[in-house]
Amino acid sequence: MTTVSSRTPTDSPRPTTVSSRTITMPYVGRSSRRSRRTLGHTLVVAGLVLWSLFTLAPIAWILLMSFKTPDQIVANPPVFFFSPTFENYLQVFSGPEFLTPFVNSLIVTFGSLFVTLLIGLPTAYALARFRFRGRENIAFGILSIRFAPELLIILPLYLIFQNTGLSDSYLGLILAYQLVTLPMLVWMLRSFIEDLPGELEEAVAVDGGTRWTAFRHVLFRLIAPGLAASLMLSFVWAWNNYTLPLVLSGRNTQTVTTGLQQYIGYQSIEWGPMAAATMISIIPGVLFAIFSLRWIVGGLTAGTVKG
Amino acid sequence: MKHKPYLPYLLALPGLAILLAVLYPFLTGVYWSFTSYRLTRGAPDFNGGKNFLNLFSTGEGWHAIAITVVYAVSVVLIELIIGILLALALNHGRYGSFFRILIVLPLLMPPVIAALMWKVMLTENGVVNWIIESLGGEGSLWFNGPDSALYTVMMVDVWLYTPFVVLLMQAALKSVPTELREASAVDGASNLRHFFTVTLPLIVPVLVVVVAFRGIDSLKMFDVIYTTTKGGPVDATTNLHVLAYLEGIRNMNFGAAMAALVVLWAICYLMSFVLLKARRKEISA
Repeated sequence: MTTVSSRTPTDSPRPTTVSSRTITMPYVGRSSRRSRRTLGHTLVVAGLVLWSLFTLAPIAWILLMSFKTPDQIVANPPVFFFSPTFENYLQVFSGPEFLTPFVNSLIVTFGSLFVTLLIGLPTAYALARFRFRGRENIAFGILSIRFAPELLIILPLYLIFQNTGLSDSYLGLILAYQLVTLPMLVWMLRSFIEDLPGELEEAVAVDGGTRWTAFRHVLFRLIAPGLAASLMLSFVWAWNNYTLPLVLSGRNTQTVTTGLQQYIGYQSIEWGPMAAATMISIIPGVLFAIFSLRWIVGGLTAGTVKG
Repeated sequence: MKHKPYLPYLLALPGLAILLAVLYPFLTGVYWSFTSYRLTRGAPDFNGGKNFLNLFSTGEGWHAIAITVVYAVSVVLIELIIGILLALALNHGRYGSFFRILIVLPLLMPPVIAALMWKVMLTENGVVNWIIESLGGEGSLWFNGPDSALYTVMMVDVWLYTPFVVLLMQAALKSVPTELREASAVDGASNLRHFFTVTLPLIVPVLVVVVAFRGIDSLKMFDVIYTTTKGGPVDATTNLHVLAYLEGIRNMNFGAAMAALVVLWAICYLMSFVLLKARRKEISA
């Protein structure tokens, strides 16, 4: 994925090439220093292994649980080896308890992304390419939406939605989700566009093209990876959101995050189906990771890590 | 490139419209914070600053403020320290790209789901207590203990968001020219000294961004706390955001809920303002 420093523990004297830079490590021949280095290296790897275990343990445990029978789940001492059952997954996929929220989440998330794109792209372009009165205020205003406590806006919105018939509707949720998706898209896209030289558009103008042709044929292609990354990040944030649907969605528009709670009843918790549903809900996020982690880091740190 | 003077405004119009659309509920909320508004009972009636007075004069209010601040400060500190250490380790070790995927994984989880996973593992008869007890230790009540609940929620936060710090710190550390390490090596500086005198000052701009994002998100932490403890036991994990939800949705007391949220908003706004200013100064410097 990325080039990672490949300094060997034995510290060979020859230069080691890392991406475009060349490091020449001073030759350390004495065995005492060499063993100290090996010890340090072992500690580093040990730390990484320990943290990875901490990271993976809950995920692995829930994965195991999703293949267990109810008896195996509550068994004490816990069971680590057993013959897996697919009963939980079958139950999750056969009823509406999970499928309905899952479909709702897909509708709301993709709907929000579409609206965000429609609003965010021209706004980000204007903020990046023009100098105009109030520009920084608008930019800061949009970003500060992200920094406000969600409930401060959602609780009044709850009442407004009830009076306008938007409560428990996809449209209402999609509009409310702009609180989560829009600020980051505008913020990230703006820095992606700012990074591209303005001469690009001027060159198109010299050839008789308009600003629109320049955007469509040149700029859009160049920001496409950044745009994809911003959209992916918005996707995950919308998909993961809990507070918005908790307050604003009703019987018909439960999302995955609020829907999973229904496996936790007052009397008992349906651990097995909950674990299976949890595993399925993780998939979109993992898919996202495969696509775009690198770009997102670039977007968030844009303008701050330019060497 | 020439353009009509209204073009930028035309393009920014949709964004501006959303901003105004958000402003309306926001201002409504701020207005409610000065009323004794209940959903069940008529129109909001102005009651001066009584809600704020209540918040600041009762133990409940100060308790929530204290929990909010203690939670945010502890979590951000722990995540920064572990995050930087892990980023250094990833950049240093040979297996960086392999461990990176493992370490980043929690970031992709819906926080509510991560919280549920931990809740499953940390029940009284759960797998973690079993491991501790079979090693001869004593199990904990975790989310259900009045003393342990806050630490347990913090641990879930650290599990969830340390990867965010790792990712950004790794990017920042990569931008530090490696020649500088050679220079300090020639001067005989130790690794530790090199980190604090050379590396750290260079990554401050990214550090500010990380603190801003993590700081504000942990000040207004809601979903992990609400799904695991609902603010309890009693009020051991009730921060301002959770308090506002309980007041607003459970007690239908929108006035009190909004007062808590306005105070939380003020804290968040102050922090983002200070940090963004610091960042701008850092970049222009």
